[in-house]
Amino acid sequence: MQIGYIIREGVSGFTRAKLSMIAAITTICISLLLLSTFTILAINANSVVESLREKVEMEAFLADHLTLIETSIARDSIATLEGVREVRYVSKEQAAQIFKEEFGEDINRVLDFNPLPASVKIFLKDGYKTAEGAEMVYAAVKGISGVEEVIYRKTMLEMLDRRASTILWIVLGIGVFITISSIFLVANTIRLAIYAKRKIVQTMKLIGATKAFIRWPFVLEGIIQGFLGGGLAGGILFLVFEYLGKWISMELSDFVHVQTFYYGVIVGVGCLLGFIGSLISIRRFIGDSVVHM
Amino acid sequence: MIELHNISVSFDGQDVLSGLNFTLKNGEFVYLVGPTGAGKSSLLRLLYMDLKPHNGVVRVAEYDSETTKSRRIPLLRRRLGIVFQDFKLLDDRDVYENVAFALYVTNTKKSEIKKLVLQALADVGLSHKRGQMPNELSGGEQQRVVIARALVNAPSLLLADEPTGNLDPHASSEIMELLRKINMRGTAILMATHNYDLVRKYPARIVKLENGKLFDVELKERI
Repeated sequence: MQIGYIIREGVSGFTRAKLSMIAAITTICISLLLLSTFTILAINANSVVESLREKVEMEAFLADHLTLIETSIARDSIATLEGVREVRYVSKEQAAQIFKEEFGEDINRVLDFNPLPASVKIFLKDGYKTAEGAEMVYAAVKGISGVEEVIYRKTMLEMLDRRASTILWIVLGIGVFITISSIFLVANTIRLAIYAKRKIVQTMKLIGATKAFIRWPFVLEGIIQGFLGGGLAGGILFLVFEYLGKWISMELSDFVHVQTFYYGVIVGVGCLLGFIGSLISIRRFIGDSVVHM
Repeated sequence: MIELHNISVSFDGQDVLSGLNFTLKNGEFVYLVGPTGAGKSSLLRLLYMDLKPHNGVVRVAEYDSETTKSRRIPLLRRRLGIVFQDFKLLDDRDVYENVAFALYVTNTKKSEIKKLVLQALADVGLSHKRGQMPNELSGGEQQRVVIARALVNAPSLLLADEPTGNLDPHASSEIMELLRKINMRGTAILMATHNYDLVRKYPARIVKLENGKLFDVELKERI
């Protein structure tokens, strides 16, 4: 195996077949742009859903007549329930303070008494932040003596569950479609580039080149095309997301947060696409008879 | 050098070669003649093992069609020089690189490659055109580059499929002189041709392919 020859031939595509080289790089770049944009949005959309779940909390309001000990027992009972990660007691006075912060009025002054009950804020464990999990905790909290009422954002959780599974299926479907399309598109472009060189392959076979000798320069060329296509796609995405992130609101910027290593992954996937695409394409030509190429 | 025993080849159920026998000795020059479609190219493909016979055995040097595995076929082809009517030069590189290409394949040392390529180009009289691209050469010159590429590995057998088919009479004669010179050095040559004027001008053994079989014919007979 002549490493020098393979490198020289692999790189020669830039000078010998500029057009097909540019076509292959552009195709890889476009495929990766589609695939990466989609993946970034999918990953970030998922993290937005997760952060909404994170905000789900439950509040158990306690009866007014409870003694300190009864309140303490009720709070501890809630804290030891399955699915409860943490509880925080909010006294009647603290509730009045929160009211004041929210509405700017002292409720004691408006009504001459404090109608707000003491409560226990309940934070759920990760696996219980679903409609089903929250409902289980809700039922258990409801059954504790001294608890008068339990509230949580049931409809939002149900909506998240429903949408999340729908979104997951849509995301999966689109992801599979884009991935398969990308592989076909790249393999086909590289195949066309190799088809244009079938005469070279034919001559190589006639003068006694082994399959490996014919294969590796093409594969190297595919990897270089993938590297450049990936680099171009990574560069474009970097510019778009870096500048886009600065121009949009905080909420939306959750959707376009991209970690730096992701750009490296794009280049790596580009190389892999080029490698697989060229390997698949050259196999077909190497296998053919010399005359019928 | 070449032995064909009871060879049969058919395409789409139609026999092209049937029960064919043929022997070519070391250093021999043989013309392969016959009407278009008689199977001359198929016969040559059998020899460089691009085609397997449906029956019989093809033996070229120490390689035979029954035992040679496909991964060893490149080794056989390195022992052969193959020349085609349509040249099959690499249009994207110059004359020197076209000839050197045959040596890259055999993993020859770089210093050796230069020497051998210049020698082969000198043999075909094209040393001065080593930097030209194939499309800058005449048909005869292109065929001489192909012959140089075929010669550079010092093959013991040269297979030529209508090597003068695309050339004018003057260029054809030049190629024939060259092939004769190569043959005189000991390389066996099997040349398929339609050009009976050349066959008469440069006499050698003639075999005619007809109805799937090969016959030795004399020059004075009608071929």
